[in-house]
Amino acid sequence: MDIKVNETPVRTSRNFRINNITINNIDIPKKLNEFKNVEIFEDKALIEKDVSQLNLAYGNGEILKENVQNEANNVLKITTNGINKQIRLIYTFDKENLNLINNIEFIINHDSNITILYKSNTNEVCFHNGIIRLIAKDNVKVNISIINMLNNNSYNFDTIDNKLESNSNVKYTIVDFGGKYSVSNYYSNIVGKNAKNDLRSIYLGIDSQIKDINYIAELKGENTDINIDVQGALKDKARKNFKGTIDFKKGCKKAKGDENEFCMLLSPEAKSIALPMLLCTEDDVEGNHSTASGKVDEKSLFYIMSRGFSENEAIKLIVRARFNKIIERIKDEKIKENILLQIDERLN
Amino acid sequence: MASKTKVEDINRNIYDIKDKDNYEFKIQKGLSREIVEEISKKKNEPEWMLDIRLKALEAYNKLELPTWGPDLSELKMDEIATYVKPKTNLNTSWDDVPEDIKNTFDRLGIPEAEKKSLAGVGAQYDSEVVYHSIKEDLIKQGVIYTDMETAVREYPEIVKEHFMKCVPITDHKFVALHAAVWSGGSFVYVPENVKLDIPLQSYFRLNSPESGQFEHTLIIVEKGASLHFIEGCSAPKYNKVNLHAGCVELYVKDDAYLRYSTIENWSKNMMNLNTKKAIVGKNAQIDWVTGSFGSKVSMLYPMSILNGEGAKTEYTGITFAGAGQNLDTGFKVIHNAPNTSSVVNSKSISKDGGACTYRALVRISEKAKGSKCSVSCESLMLDDISRSDTIPVNDIETDEVEFSHEAKIGKISDKEIFYLMSRGLSEEDAKAMIVRGFAYPVSKELPVEYAVEMNNLINIELEGSIG
Amino acid sequence: MDKLLEIKDLHVSAQNKEILKGLNLSINRGEVHVIMGPNGAGKSTLANVILNNPQYTKISGKIRFEGENINELKTNEIAKKGIFMSFQSPEEIPGISTLNFLKYAKNKVSDEPVKSFKFRYLLKKYIDELNMNPKLIERNLNVGFSGGEKKKNEILQMLVLEPKLAILDETDSGLDVDAIRTVSKGINMYKNDTNAVLIITHNNKILENLDVDYVHILVDGKIVKTGKRELADEIEKNGYEKYKKVEEE
Repeated sequence: MDIKVNETPVRTSRNFRINNITINNIDIPKKLNEFKNVEIFEDKALIEKDVSQLNLAYGNGEILKENVQNEANNVLKITTNGINKQIRLIYTFDKENLNLINNIEFIINHDSNITILYKSNTNEVCFHNGIIRLIAKDNVKVNISIINMLNNNSYNFDTIDNKLESNSNVKYTIVDFGGKYSVSNYYSNIVGKNAKNDLRSIYLGIDSQIKDINYIAELKGENTDINIDVQGALKDKARKNFKGTIDFKKGCKKAKGDENEFCMLLSPEAKSIALPMLLCTEDDVEGNHSTASGKVDEKSLFYIMSRGFSENEAIKLIVRARFNKIIERIKDEKIKENILLQIDERLN
Repeated sequence: MASKTKVEDINRNIYDIKDKDNYEFKIQKGLSREIVEEISKKKNEPEWMLDIRLKALEAYNKLELPTWGPDLSELKMDEIATYVKPKTNLNTSWDDVPEDIKNTFDRLGIPEAEKKSLAGVGAQYDSEVVYHSIKEDLIKQGVIYTDMETAVREYPEIVKEHFMKCVPITDHKFVALHAAVWSGGSFVYVPENVKLDIPLQSYFRLNSPESGQFEHTLIIVEKGASLHFIEGCSAPKYNKVNLHAGCVELYVKDDAYLRYSTIENWSKNMMNLNTKKAIVGKNAQIDWVTGSFGSKVSMLYPMSILNGEGAKTEYTGITFAGAGQNLDTGFKVIHNAPNTSSVVNSKSISKDGGACTYRALVRISEKAKGSKCSVSCESLMLDDISRSDTIPVNDIETDEVEFSHEAKIGKISDKEIFYLMSRGLSEEDAKAMIVRGFAYPVSKELPVEYAVEMNNLINIELEGSIG
Repeated sequence: MDKLLEIKDLHVSAQNKEILKGLNLSINRGEVHVIMGPNGAGKSTLANVILNNPQYTKISGKIRFEGENINELKTNEIAKKGIFMSFQSPEEIPGISTLNFLKYAKNKVSDEPVKSFKFRYLLKKYIDELNMNPKLIERNLNVGFSGGEKKKNEILQMLVLEPKLAILDETDSGLDVDAIRTVSKGINMYKNDTNAVLIITHNNKILENLDVDYVHILVDGKIVKTGKRELADEIEKNGYEKYKKVEEE
C-alpha cells in the first residue's frame, strides 16, 4: 500500500513538495509475535507492559498510529523513581525479529539518562514503527538519546510526543543513520513555566536513503525555551526533508525559540529541502531560525588536505567535527564509538 | 496614568472617497461561458484571445481552491461582477477624462507625479484603462507603453507569444479566473539597449462595489534594456467583498534590468489574489520592491525564474497587517541556470489582531551550479493579539551552492526604546521611530513619494490616557 | 551649595538579584565626580537607574534632582529635566539620520524652539573639536559606526543637548589613547559652573586632563570610599582588593 505520513502542522503549496511524504508499496506488518531481541537495562525503574491511552498531538498519520495501537509487539511503560539513573533499551533486528512495533511511555519523576538504540544484524528489510511518549514532571532533568542504526533497506518510523512540566529540562539527542526511509515525527508540548527543551540531531544520508524529519515545538508556558539544532550530511542520491516548527502559543511570555539547521551536500545529486517555520501569536518572545546548505567549506578542506589527508579523509574529518558536539551528549561510551565508526563506514 | 501606544492604521482618507457607481456597463454577477463571451465581444477581441479565455474558464472550473493559506470562504464568485466599463474611452489627455474619475486620480496625486517624476502613466478605473501617456522621446526610441487592449489589437504577434506563457493558465485557480475575465492593465515593450532613466507608473483604482479587477500587465524588456516600473493600487471600502486577481508577466531578456515596485493599498474588504512572475535571461536582473498594506486577505508571492546563466534577483518587501487583515505574502525564486543569485529581504509588522505570513520558496535546481541565495526575514509583533508566521521552503537540489536563510521574530527592543527615551523622546515617539527604522530598508527602496507616504502610515497616537 | 543630584539609601535589583545595596551620592553644580569599581559592582546599574531604565527595579531609596523626587518619572521626562547618559553600547537606529535625530532630540529637551542657524553653527564646531568625520551625521543614527565613532557621537549629543548633569557610562572603554583624549576634550567643552559630570570608568586615563572633584569607589552595590583624585591613582596602583576586603569584614 501507499501511505502519506509526517504532515506539517501548517500546510503550504503542494508544489513546494513538503507538506508530507508519500511512501509507496509498503507492507505494514500485522499480527506479530513479541519482539524478542530487546535488552533492557535499568536501575530499579518500574516497568509495566501496559501504556496509557494514546492521544497524540501530531504523529505519523492514522495508519501508523493504529498500527502501534493494535499491533505493537513491544509495549513498555517505564516510571522512574528516586534511585534509577540509567535506562537503556537496545533493539537488535535479526532474521527472526524483522518487525518491531513498539509503544513506550516514560513517566519521569527524577533526573534520568535514557538511551534507545535500534540496530540490525541482518540485511533483510526491517520494519520499525514506534511511539515514544515522555512526560517530564516538575523540576526533572532528562537526557534521552535515540539512535537509528538499522540497515539501509529498512523502514523506520519514529513518533515522539513529549510533555514538559514546570522547570523541567529535557535534552534529546537523535542520531538518524539507518533506513531506506527514515521518518521522524517529534512533538514537544512545553507547557510548564520555565521548562526547557533542547533537541539536537544528526543525520547522514547515503545511496538513495530518504530522511523525513518533522520537529514541532509548542511553547505554551511562560519563560519556556526550545533549542533545535540539526546537523546533517547527504551523499550520493540521498534526500532529506526537514520541517521544523516553533510555535509560540498565547501565554508564552518571555519564551525563546531557536532553530538551526545545517546540511552538508557531499554530492551533486543529493537533495535537501528545509522548511523552518516560526509561528507566533505572542509579542514578548524571541524567535530565531537559520538554515544553510552547501558543499563542505573549501578552505577547511584545503587546510586539512595540506596536512596530508586525502580528500575523502578530510571530508570525513569535517563531518565528524560537525557531528561531534552532538554525539558528545550521548552518555554511553560504547554506543558513541559505534556511531563514529558508522560515520566512517558510511562515508567510505 | 495608563497610556497605551498604538501604531496607527494607515490613514485611508484619500483612498476611501467613493465615486458614484457610475458605469457605462456592468456585467451581471457571477461567472459563466456567456459572461466570458460577452466580455470578449464588448472588447471586440480576436478569436485567439477568446479561445484563451474559454480554455481558462474550463481550467477554472476544474481547479480547486488552495488547501493552504488564508480562508477564502467569504469570496463568492456569484456575487462578483467581473467587468465594469467606466463611462469613458481611453484618453491621452487628463482634460478628456470625465470629471469624477479625473478628481479621483488627482486626489491620489497621479497627474502631479506624472509632471514631476514619471516617463509615462497609465490609469485604470474599474475594468478599463482611462488614461495612458508616454513621453515623446521614448516613443521615438521605440518604447511602447499602452493598455493591454490596445496591445492585443496593435501588437498581436508580441502579445500572442508572451500572454499567459510566463504564467500558465493552469497555475492556480485565480490565474485561470484572471485569464478568463481579464480586462485592462498595461503593456510595456522596451527595445534592445534602450535604458529608461525615469520610471513608468500604472495606477489601478477599483471604485465599483461587489466587483473585481483583473488587469493584466505584460512587460518585455529586451536585451540590454532597462526599466523601472511602478504599480499602485487602491480602492474605497465597501461592506461586501471585492476581488482583485491581476496577473503580471515580466520578460527580462539577456543583460536587461527591470525594477518592479508595488504599493498595494487596497481597502479592507478586498481579496487580493494576485500573481506575478518574471522570466530572467542571461546576466539579467529583476528587482522587486513591494509594500503590502491594504486588503482583507492577500495571497501574493512574486516569483523570479532565473533561466539565464548569471541572472540575478532581489526581493525587498514589507507587509503591515492591522485589524481584520490576513496578509499572506512572500517570494518565490527558481534558480534554473548556473551562477544565478538571489537576495531576499522581507519585513513584516503585525498589530491589532492582524496576521502576517511570510511564505516563500527557494529552489536551486540541479542545473544551477555555483548559485547563491541569501534570505533574511524579520517579523515585528506590536501586541499579543496579532499573529506572525514564517513559512519558508528551501529546496536545494545540487551541492555547489551557497544558501543561507535567517529569520527573526519578536517585539520592539526595550534597549532601543530606553536609548531613545534617554534623549527626550516619549515612549510612543521612540516606538514609532524604531518601527520606521525597521521598515527603512524597504522604504528606502521605494520611490520618494511612496516612502514619505509609508512613513506617514506609521503614525502614533496616545490613547486612554487618564490623569 | 547648589545640590543637583542626591541619592539616598538606594536599593536596586535586576532579574531578582539585588545589585545596589544602599547607595548614597550627592552631586553639586560645578562638580566632576568619578565612580570606579570592579566588574559587577553596580556602576552601570547606577547610571541606568538614574534614567529609570525599566529593566531595573528600585526596591527603596530616593533619587532627587534639583530637589525633586524623580523616582517615578519616565526616562524621557528625566532627560527633559536635564540628565543625560552616554551609553556604554549605544543602540543602532536605522531610518533616521544622526543630524535629524539631533535636531529632533534637541527640540524635545528644549523649552523654546531651536534656532536653525545657531544649531548648525554649534554642531559644526563640536564636530570639528571632536575630530569627527562630518559625513557621519548624514548616516543613520549609530548604524555602521565603529565603536569609537559611536562614543564620540554620544559626546556630540551631550554637547548639543546641553544637560545639567551628564553621566558617562564607561565612555572611555574600548577607545584608543587619542580618542580618549578627544572625549576628555568634549567633557571640558561641556563643563561649566552650572552643570555637573558623573564619570563611570575603569581606568584613569580619561581623568588626566579633567578637574576631578571627587572619586568614589563602588564595591558590591555600595560606595565604600570617597576621596579626591589621588584615590584614582591609588586604585590604578593597587587595585580594588583592599576595598573588597573591607566589604567582607
